[in-house]
Amino acid sequence: MSQILVITSGKGGVGKTTTTANIGVGLAMRGHKVALIDTDTGLRNLDLLLGLENRILYDLVDVTSGRVAYKKALVRHKKFENLYLLPTSQVKDKSAVNPEQLVTLCAEMKKEFDFIIIDCPAGIEQGFKTAIAAADTAIVVTMPEISAVRDADKIIGELGRADKENVKLIVNRIRPQMVEKGDMLDMGDIDEILSVACIGQVPDDENVVVATNRGEPVITMNGSTAGQAYKNIVARICGENVPFLKPQKEGFFARLKKLFGLL
Amino acid sequence: MNDIVTIKGLKYGLQLTFAKGASFDDVQANLLNKLESGDSFFIRGTTVFVPKGYFAEDQNEALRRMFHRHGMLFSTELKRPNLAPPSCDTVKTPAQKSKAKVEDAQKMMVINRTIRGGQEVKANCSVLICGNVNPGAQIIAGGSIDIRGTCRGFVHAGAFGDKTACVVADRLMPAQIRIADLIARAPDEDVKASQAERAMIRNNMIIFEPVAR
Repeated sequence: MSQILVITSGKGGVGKTTTTANIGVGLAMRGHKVALIDTDTGLRNLDLLLGLENRILYDLVDVTSGRVAYKKALVRHKKFENLYLLPTSQVKDKSAVNPEQLVTLCAEMKKEFDFIIIDCPAGIEQGFKTAIAAADTAIVVTMPEISAVRDADKIIGELGRADKENVKLIVNRIRPQMVEKGDMLDMGDIDEILSVACIGQVPDDENVVVATNRGEPVITMNGSTAGQAYKNIVARICGENVPFLKPQKEGFFARLKKLFGLL
Repeated sequence: MNDIVTIKGLKYGLQLTFAKGASFDDVQANLLNKLESGDSFFIRGTTVFVPKGYFAEDQNEALRRMFHRHGMLFSTELKRPNLAPPSCDTVKTPAQKSKAKVEDAQKMMVINRTIRGGQEVKANCSVLICGNVNPGAQIIAGGSIDIRGTCRGFVHAGAFGDKTACVVADRLMPAQIRIADLIARAPDEDVKASQAERAMIRNNMIIFEPVAR
């Protein structure tokens, strides 16, 4: 059974696109046939994270307006052969695609792919409504920060209004040291407010920035904590029961080294 | 032939527009004719919208009665009709507030879900919420408010001035609480409520006291 997921958050900059790219790559690494659809028309980024910008020929707007078949617009990933990207236009804006068009497109693509992952734009306007229209599962990404949690709460409410009841949560950029000191919301606080099933807790990791700039999602980097967290998320999406990562505390020596800049 | 009344289907009901120069009596006769012909347009429970100010108030009243007889709702405002049970009409305008009857406060609206940020519940009656009231959510009730969960939003009980109204929650920590015309806000430092509490007016002040649940 193929699944259509939408990755959304309300607030910008919490890691929707990063999450989309990593889950996509992770599912493809497991042998699933995956299509990623970028719906952040006008502010597309997903192609950059996957290092596919220079291979784009057609975009989502070309497809929904009927200029080309969707298969022509798909960009195959250079490393993972069963991962495809359907990029969006950088010159048009959100009004160029409407919800019905995306529903039709996804219904057609569903025949070919095991997973279709839609990267949603920030906000709750037209772009958001378009992005969620086709999805059967919504993954809400948030950060341990009151503004991000507040927006995630709003988004979950909006998803409920659109009859999307299957909602999952990913908490991104957790800094265990700050949580321990009580300077950052912990999972208990977040769960108390949002009360939706959490499928991922991703620690803040410098490797994510490195990976983004290289165009290779962090999930492909061995030894990265964020990469491992994403691998676990992918396993949970596939229905496996994986325990959450223990927050890694920085040891005394590591901190001492950092202090002297010896890293 | 140009019809006197044009009916347009909307998301929340039917919008009526009228031919220029048609008199009220013509319109009424035409509508009655349509209603009695059993046109499939007019399903019971549908809201019919008539542009505000098109007819005089008493004429609107006549239309309202006519539609009510046929089981339909009548409105001059283009908005989504309230999803609440009909006994608990939403608070619409300050003018209507004063009309709210005392018995309304005795009734209760039950909401079986969490009210999330940006969502709003308004009722003339009392409200029971089986779920949380999250930060950024608003509950405004003519009567009292009972929350079977944590309250972190904005609550207003006794919105028409009922000073006997109260707010109860398993964990009562609203950003702001209003009862009748009194306002209290949460202290600036974080306080965690550890047990069920009730907020009520005593000596013209909003006070919190623990309650057994």
